[in-house]
Amino acid sequence: MQSHDDLEPTVRIRELKKDRVNFVLGNVDLAFANSLRRVMMADIPTVAIDMVEIEINTTVLPDEFIAHRLGMVPLMSSNCDEAIRNTRDCTCLAGCSFCSILLVLNVGCHDDTTMEVTSAHLDVIPYPEEGLETQDSGEELSKRGEYFGHPVGKNEPGVAPILICKIRKGQELKVKCVAKKGIAKEHAKWSPCSAVSFEYDPYNKLRHTKYWFETDERGEWPTSDNGKEEEPPRDDEPFDFNAKPNKFYFEVETDGSLGPQEVVMKDFSNFITTAGSSRTTDKIGQPHPRTQNTTRG
Amino acid sequence: MPDGTQKTRRIPTFNTLARENAFRNPPKEGSTYSILNEFVASHLESFNALFDDSGLPSGDGDGRGLLSLALKDVGERVAFDGDGKVGSESGPDGWGNRMRIWIEQVTVARPMVPEKDRTARERKVFPSEARERLTSYRGRMTVKLCWTDISGQRHEMPKDCGLLPIMVRSVRCNLRSMSSAELVKHHEEPEEFGGYFVINGNERLIRYLILPRRNHVISLLRPSFSNRGPSYTQYAVQMRCVRPDQTSVTNTLHYLSNGSAMLRFSWRKQEYVIPIMLVLKALVGASDKEIFEGVMMQDYENTFLTDRVELLLRSFKMFTMQTGEQCLEYLGDKFRVVLNLPEDWTNAAQGAWLLKKMILVHLETPREKFRMLLFMLRKLYSLVSGSCCADNPDSPQHQEVLLPGSLYGMIIKERLEEILNGIRMGISMDVRNGVAVDFNDKRYFQKIVSKVNFDIGAKLSNFLATGNLVSPTGLDLQQASGFTIVAEKLNWQRYISHFRCIHRGAFFAELKTTTVRKLLPEAWGFLCPVHTPDGSPCGLLNHLSRSCRITTTPLAVAHIPALLAAHGMTQVFTPKIDGRKNLSVQLDGRVIGWARPSVAAQLATNLRIWKTEGKHEVPLDLEIGLVPVSNGGQYPGLFLFSTTARMMRPVKYLGNGRDDQVGPFEQVYMNIACTPEEIEEAVSTHVEHEPTNFLSILANLTPFSDFNQSPRNIYQCQMGKQSMGTPATALQHRTDNKLYRLQTGQSPVVRPALHNTYAMDSFPNGTNAIVAVISYTGYDMEDAMILNKSAHERGFGYGTVYKSQIIDLKDMRGASKLTSAPTLHFGLANDIRTTGDNMHTCLEFLDLDGLPFVGARLSSGDPIAAYVDDTTGRTKFVRYKGDELGYIDEVRLLGSDAGDTELQKIHITLRITRSPVIGDKFSSRHGQKGVCSQKWPAVDMPFSESGMQPDVIINPHAFPSRMTIGMLVESMAGKAGAMHGLAQDATPFKFSEEDTAINYFGEQLLAAGYNYYGNEPMYSGITGQEFAADIYIGVVYYQRLRHMVLDKFQVRTTGPVDPVTRQPVKGRKRAGGIRFGEMERDALIAHGTSFLLQDRLMNCSDYSTAWVCRTCGSLISLGYEDVTLGEMVVGTSKTLKPSGPGGEYCRVCRAASEEEDERERQALATGQHLQRPQADITIPISSQHVLNRASKGGDLDVVAVPYVFRYLCAELASMGIAVSLEVR
Repeated sequence: MQSHDDLEPTVRIRELKKDRVNFVLGNVDLAFANSLRRVMMADIPTVAIDMVEIEINTTVLPDEFIAHRLGMVPLMSSNCDEAIRNTRDCTCLAGCSFCSILLVLNVGCHDDTTMEVTSAHLDVIPYPEEGLETQDSGEELSKRGEYFGHPVGKNEPGVAPILICKIRKGQELKVKCVAKKGIAKEHAKWSPCSAVSFEYDPYNKLRHTKYWFETDERGEWPTSDNGKEEEPPRDDEPFDFNAKPNKFYFEVETDGSLGPQEVVMKDFSNFITTAGSSRTTDKIGQPHPRTQNTTRG
Repeated sequence: MPDGTQKTRRIPTFNTLARENAFRNPPKEGSTYSILNEFVASHLESFNALFDDSGLPSGDGDGRGLLSLALKDVGERVAFDGDGKVGSESGPDGWGNRMRIWIEQVTVARPMVPEKDRTARERKVFPSEARERLTSYRGRMTVKLCWTDISGQRHEMPKDCGLLPIMVRSVRCNLRSMSSAELVKHHEEPEEFGGYFVINGNERLIRYLILPRRNHVISLLRPSFSNRGPSYTQYAVQMRCVRPDQTSVTNTLHYLSNGSAMLRFSWRKQEYVIPIMLVLKALVGASDKEIFEGVMMQDYENTFLTDRVELLLRSFKMFTMQTGEQCLEYLGDKFRVVLNLPEDWTNAAQGAWLLKKMILVHLETPREKFRMLLFMLRKLYSLVSGSCCADNPDSPQHQEVLLPGSLYGMIIKERLEEILNGIRMGISMDVRNGVAVDFNDKRYFQKIVSKVNFDIGAKLSNFLATGNLVSPTGLDLQQASGFTIVAEKLNWQRYISHFRCIHRGAFFAELKTTTVRKLLPEAWGFLCPVHTPDGSPCGLLNHLSRSCRITTTPLAVAHIPALLAAHGMTQVFTPKIDGRKNLSVQLDGRVIGWARPSVAAQLATNLRIWKTEGKHEVPLDLEIGLVPVSNGGQYPGLFLFSTTARMMRPVKYLGNGRDDQVGPFEQVYMNIACTPEEIEEAVSTHVEHEPTNFLSILANLTPFSDFNQSPRNIYQCQMGKQSMGTPATALQHRTDNKLYRLQTGQSPVVRPALHNTYAMDSFPNGTNAIVAVISYTGYDMEDAMILNKSAHERGFGYGTVYKSQIIDLKDMRGASKLTSAPTLHFGLANDIRTTGDNMHTCLEFLDLDGLPFVGARLSSGDPIAAYVDDTTGRTKFVRYKGDELGYIDEVRLLGSDAGDTELQKIHITLRITRSPVIGDKFSSRHGQKGVCSQKWPAVDMPFSESGMQPDVIINPHAFPSRMTIGMLVESMAGKAGAMHGLAQDATPFKFSEEDTAINYFGEQLLAAGYNYYGNEPMYSGITGQEFAADIYIGVVYYQRLRHMVLDKFQVRTTGPVDPVTRQPVKGRKRAGGIRFGEMERDALIAHGTSFLLQDRLMNCSDYSTAWVCRTCGSLISLGYEDVTLGEMVVGTSKTLKPSGPGGEYCRVCRAASEEEDERERQALATGQHLQRPQADITIPISSQHVLNRASKGGDLDVVAVPYVFRYLCAELASMGIAVSLEVR
């Protein structure tokens, strides 16, 4: 389809909420759209607790469960690219203020009711001075937002914190956590998205699939909401076997560590930087035939 | 609402909050789930029935416990101080003074802290203590032993019988009738229902065992009977007669080919047969005419019968005994030697005793026994003539259950008998050995008593711990072992099914025929057709159906004969009854009258109406077995059963709409409709309360099991019991050997109604997983499944294994045998540096007391405890032996019973984390098991339009041949339930052809915006392209099974070898190899891969090189000369001994050559060497200068042979067989 090859890619945001964005991506091809999806799911860096030092744990949960649960707590990670380094790229030996964030949790229950240890009890503490500050002249610290590394929802009223453990009188939990930057390819805890919905061709005009039905295709297959965006096919419409999908309906839901717009914007930029190295003059979204299969972020 | 609007609140279907509340605040009265107490009721009540204060209804009896009844039956033993020589000083008949010995009372106390311990404030002992301290839960048993002295004065003494294991939650248990809240306080589950014993910390229970139905005559046709002796035939009738104390005697009446019959019984494992005529006459002194009329019952035209009876009567003529008294004397005379009765009893008394104790023991009077024997004879002749068929002993119709408490009581009774016999034997031994026997001396009696082992508690502990029955009589049971099992708390499902399982008997497990394993229609509603293991115990180990219960209380039926007589039954003593027109009416194996078939049918109907409506005090549990007259069918009659140990189940009686209880005997002749719709007018008599009642608890928990192919439901019953789940909620008080725990158990979205009833949500057993049925990566072939890596990282299927390790310093090396002063103590000695820089590494794991830190992380070889040896003063360590990383979860210090000894024993719970890995086994609830083959990255997983990605991918090929449609329905229902927030009811038989499950859930799916049939268009995660086919995706409850690769993998490159064969050893534990067997060898040969063959069987196994003698071909005659000295070895004859370059030589050949050499030399010396072709000159040349001679015995070669071959050669040599190899 030569016609929309020349068109600029379009992004039309249909809905933007605090934790989700719904947009329509147009004039790009399938591989590009899917790559975007994949990058959003697995290649956007965030910070998450990666190391837990347990000092006191007299709760009913064993150490490793607590550590796992802490790891799953989403932490505010905006501007992760600039605000924190990967530990493996850092000059430090095992972690410093440039590549990690320290959080502590120190809770004890002293009354007769069951107490809930939640993500709200996690506090970010500054890195202890090591004397290496002078050697390392990173500007990461200045790029961090106010709540960078804090548990999501901790500083917002009305957001219920995440339950980590329940303790009773006399039980105590004291841990030191080190949060690091990472991507979801390594571990699911670093994924900023909880789900990415992705659809094209709601009427199956391209006949990529075949709707199996018992008696009545229309009755058994409800059309998706995205069907409103496109013309329903007429019954006498001839099949265009050259047609390619070019309109993609996305909905990205995040876990709060990154805002949805940041995920998507980061996604685009990330995609451009990685794919860009092998691209010259092509427009975004219509990768050069050579590079089509190498755009895996 | 004040403004008039209705606030629509959905009724919660998962009841999560209610359940959580019940768990946090267990009810102070009663239990959370009372049904759990009901299904072990037979275990508990049968144990309670042992005691006088059982709290059970008394029925016709006086409400005394089985132990009291047993004491009555045991009676007394009589000892004499004379030796029976007539005319000696000890009285006229030589027996001297008479001493009667008996036990008057048995008492069993609740488990208590021993008196020695004065500090304990709570004197009661609770099961959790026994469990945690790895001891037994026992209460003290005492008996009151009575005897008479010479003057007949009664003396008594209490006697301690040791500590008797007590069934948890029985009437002797300290947890009896505790509420859930109290149970939790005593470290039990809130749902604890008891029914088991705690032996050495293990929970063991006595398994139900199937026995022949008591007090009912069954006809048997067994070809093996004809091998019993000359003229024996295959025909017999048999009756298992049970005394009130639940001990039994089986009487078999064999038909002989000469028309007569022999009565067989066994006494102390020895079988005896008596002519039936002898018994009949001995019982009531019956005349020949009485017997003739009694058997014929006016059926004089029946020549078959007259012939047989005539033969029967004639055959007894040779005994020349006319009166009953003569018969009794004859019996007593013959049995005197085996019965061991008081020596001063007459023969007649001994004969009467034999009849009382061995023949039809369920009946009191000889007249009743006589009538019953006549009935048995009639049934036997009827069987022989073919007018009735043989009964099937494998059918539940003729079966009942051996209850745990009854067996327990039987063993105790036998032990009490043995005690009395022991005392009597002791006295008679003394009399025989001439020791002074003085019946007036209390000390003498005490001396005798002290020699007898009174420790019944230890005997029963041993019985429960091993399941082995040590018994002189065999207790009329077919097996002597396998009575008890461990109640494994692997998960809740396995645990509860132990209490419902019922075994056919160990004897049948070895039987080659499979007829006993068959599922019979008679079992409907009593034994579950689904819940049986596959493999060797298939069909022998069954489980009770959900609604089936086992009666444990005797019923009050004394008034029934009179009641029936009032309604048309002919009284039993009526003379001249026409046997052709009358059916026998029997109550618990007692003939109570006669009735015509129509009257009998009317009586049966009346009884049923009365018992369902509670009129005339007819008990509801009475079984009314009306066997109608048929042509060659089961022997007709009206058989009523009121005894205990019968299976019964509730159904609805259509006659009056009341609840009825039916047993397997009567059910055969009933028409029970499964559903109200199936009721047929004038045909159906009953209707089931629920169509699912015939399934066991576990089979009921399979969702939509009616959609599945039946073997799949069987598999699920197995796998449900193997899944990692929540074994217990009081985990910190458990000391099980191994516990599996699933960390993230969930309540299934799709569950049958009974899931809630049986508190399954208190012990979740799996997780709801999003399952896509798609052939995606190739890694899902052959039942493998793909896990979403992200789901795995978020904790899908995460499990933990808890292992126990017991460290008992008594068992360690260097422990003193004296219990008073142990020489080993937990702790660190001075040789361990506890501070400073070079602190001992063990302090990473151990505290100064020598015990490990809770939470310490252990890898193989790390110390888990340290102890000091007094004799050496050094510290020794106990090390962690496992291969995996483990954490110390709990350390338990175990004291002694009285709590007054030093710490010598600790129990450590190790926690081993088991995150799912490739190779771990999972299954849905439909017998669809699979192994995780890959953890697939989430981005590459297929996804739906809404962004859903499956947790699990399974291959569509798992369905066509297995036909587990239930799983497909569950997937749909789960998806709809998850979307709408509903717990879906998956009870089987709820849908019909008109109202299909597919439509029901299809509508729900459509309402949620999904395809009606549960398909969804999905996209490839890799390309983003929509799949050409839409994918079936939904929510299925997945179980993680306990079979994990980490426990099973076996690899070896090199490793230990067998010292004899030098082949690799076998066994995973020993780092052995896996056998490359004959069939594998065949495969390699067939492929022509000889290099592989060589590699496997030789190079990687016992490759060895060996010297072989080229001369004699021997492998085993190698000898070595030490050639390092650089000299040739010279023999006695100054010749150079032949040897190879390395000094190797063949001992056989060298000896032979030396011998030959010597001989030649001597021949040369004596000039007798004439055989050789004569040369002109003869010069004696030393052999070392002759070419080629030296090589004899030194010509060896190295060959590669399997080492076992050398071993074989050596073995053969030891038998005098030489193996000779030819080397080319």
